[in-house]
Amino acid sequence: MKINLKINNKDYSIDIEPNITLLDLLRDELGLTGTKRGCEIGECGACTVIMDGEAVNSCLVLAPQTDGAEIITVEGLEENGELSKLQKSFIEHEAVHCGFCTPGMLMSAKALLDKNPNPTVEEIKTAIAGNLCRCTGYKQIVEAIQKTSEP
Amino acid sequence: MMLPKINYIKVNTLTEAYDAINQCLGELSILAGETDLLIELRKKDLDTHQNILDISNINLLKEIKENGELIKIGSLVTHTQLAESPILKKHAALLAQAASMIGSLQIRNRGTIGGNICNASPCADTVPPLVALDAEVTLSSIDGERVLPVADFIKGPYKTARKSDEILTCISFKKLPEGCRSHFIKLGRRNALSIARLQVAVVGMLDNTGNICYIKLAPGSSMPTPTRLHEVEKMLINEKPTSDLFVEAGERTAQIMIEKTGIRWSTEYKKPVLAALVRRGLEKVFKKTTNHGDTETQSR
Repeated sequence: MKINLKINNKDYSIDIEPNITLLDLLRDELGLTGTKRGCEIGECGACTVIMDGEAVNSCLVLAPQTDGAEIITVEGLEENGELSKLQKSFIEHEAVHCGFCTPGMLMSAKALLDKNPNPTVEEIKTAIAGNLCRCTGYKQIVEAIQKTSEP
Repeated sequence: MMLPKINYIKVNTLTEAYDAINQCLGELSILAGETDLLIELRKKDLDTHQNILDISNINLLKEIKENGELIKIGSLVTHTQLAESPILKKHAALLAQAASMIGSLQIRNRGTIGGNICNASPCADTVPPLVALDAEVTLSSIDGERVLPVADFIKGPYKTARKSDEILTCISFKKLPEGCRSHFIKLGRRNALSIARLQVAVVGMLDNTGNICYIKLAPGSSMPTPTRLHEVEKMLINEKPTSDLFVEAGERTAQIMIEKTGIRWSTEYKKPVLAALVRRGLEKVFKKTTNHGDTETQSR
């Protein structure tokens, strides 16, 4: 079947099998491997992307359901060839250790900051509660997101 | 993980959905937010075609509406919509509170109230509040509509009264009376993404003499089917809200659970904990305060 969607501001018209997920579409069909394949049951958040303005687990979205949707992945974060303020903040606060959760964390953080540019620590924690990190203890990640929101 | 082959049908209206159901040979799964269905699909035989009817484009089913004394929630309303709804926060705060505690934000952004009810997990978080609100579901098919209480619609763990040609389209209930307070407690291993071990939904109000004049109590994850605890409600009605009474109500609730489920491996844990949760829920609803409508969103 054919689906039309926008990914990172680029229009795609793709022929797909209906039994693939958005995660499969991004990684296996389009080579956008920044989005990570983790648990595939919506527990770890490593596959988080933004779909029509909302953070979603791409492992739990059937690709045919993205027909007409607008998707942003971690590859869509950089601005004018440079890392975004959020990405730079992750580096500055050493919020990246092994890095596997980082793309999902960034997308959950971006979805939050797009709606709520000055979140409280509690709001940040709620927004990333669906993203598991086994290295950092989350402290640096929360700080990195918080600092991004400051002018 | 591979998914089985899918015969994917997308519809934009209920009429199209009824047509698709009538034309489909064999079993058909209805797809809404797919946070449960996709996980189930991964367990199926890879070589057998699965018929999937995607109703997620039916915009008519995505609204929360006030209709006089009634609140009507379309079955495709997401948990995020429930959690953020000013209508629910005002007139049925415990449902918004329960929705805010489901899964993670990513799950709440996709998962729907209709899906949560139709999946009929014994630990579905929206169900105890809906039972305490005496909510009803509307089931629609080409032959018309029928309305059932949520408590009767859910027949057992993962079993409902939905016929294969029916779509759950609407959930409706009366607004809580002015001055009524409500609270939902979910006990899980952690706050995010946990499956509830036990839940309690309480709705109640005191009259001007300080007696309990309105009480509805529905536990979750503890009975074979969701139900209000009429017997415990009778113990509480027209009584003063004392600590002793709440302890007694909690203990009676735990006894009823054992009468209904028998002694199970989890009973030793669930018995005292359910009693404590009922007591806490009652304390929360009837504690002396000038605040109407509970605004607490997490029982951490």
